[in-house]
Amino acid sequence: MYGWIWRHLPGNAWVRALISLLLVLAVIYVLFQYVFPWAEPLLPFNDVTVNEGMAAVR
Amino acid sequence: MTTTDHGQDSEVAPPPRRRTWNRVAATISATGELLITAGLILGLFVVYSLWWTNVTADRQAKKAADAVRHDWATSSGDSKPGRLDTKDGIGFLHVPAMGKGFELLVKKGTSTNVLNEGVAGYYTDPVKSAMPWDKTGNFTLAAHRDGHGAKFHNIDKIKNGDPVVFEDRDTWYVYKVYKILPETSKYDVKVINQIPKESGKNKAGRYITLTTCTPVYTSRYRYIVWAQLVRTQKVDADRTPPKELG
Repeated sequence: MYGWIWRHLPGNAWVRALISLLLVLAVIYVLFQYVFPWAEPLLPFNDVTVNEGMAAVR
Repeated sequence: MTTTDHGQDSEVAPPPRRRTWNRVAATISATGELLITAGLILGLFVVYSLWWTNVTADRQAKKAADAVRHDWATSSGDSKPGRLDTKDGIGFLHVPAMGKGFELLVKKGTSTNVLNEGVAGYYTDPVKSAMPWDKTGNFTLAAHRDGHGAKFHNIDKIKNGDPVVFEDRDTWYVYKVYKILPETSKYDVKVINQIPKESGKNKAGRYITLTTCTPVYTSRYRYIVWAQLVRTQKVDADRTPPKELG
């Protein structure tokens, strides 16, 4: 997978490394901005209130 | 890919066998890459929930707190409206035991959206919270233990007898902690009753209840701290804090 991406990037090794870095940063941005905020409420790590069960758990 | 000398494969392999082997190796390496990627994403999720959400929530909470302070400072002439404006926040909670200068904006509601702003929320559901200025009742609050500001992270540092102070526009409400419940079920809604019998009280009074999750980094149980009003103090022109915060 990563090898395939590397082979398909244009330019010499330095250019490829730079593009790879930008890709990694873009992925991290998408994760932090969209994926994690969406996933977090679905995971049972951060409920702090007392409630009557299913009603508030949704 | 040079996969020539590999133990069981040491005799000279004929071309078709080598092709099979290459395909197996490619599958294994792709699976490995996927597993490594999954691991990295999970690691990033930990970074996100324990660090990044704090950064964004603190920023948001600071902005909201500044807005409330500004509102109080500019509308100090007329008496009523400021303190019942529940949209921006009703006031600040001070708990010296949770850290020097601990100050936490209190807003209405305990939904994820409210609490994720790095504030404490007062319950509207399942049991409606009383307000500190009500004659009797229980002022019930929740905040995050970890992530999203982690405002109640140090709730376990609170001891019996410690002061808990709520500040609104014109009054300091000084409470004293009298009972701590280090672990209870998350369905234990009785803890936020207007007369919190679980804390040993049978008479109506002016109480405050802090709730969050425990143990840290999980939300299996709830941690409860109860305090009772000792006195109130008028806010003076310089907003001098009461001696309990000194």
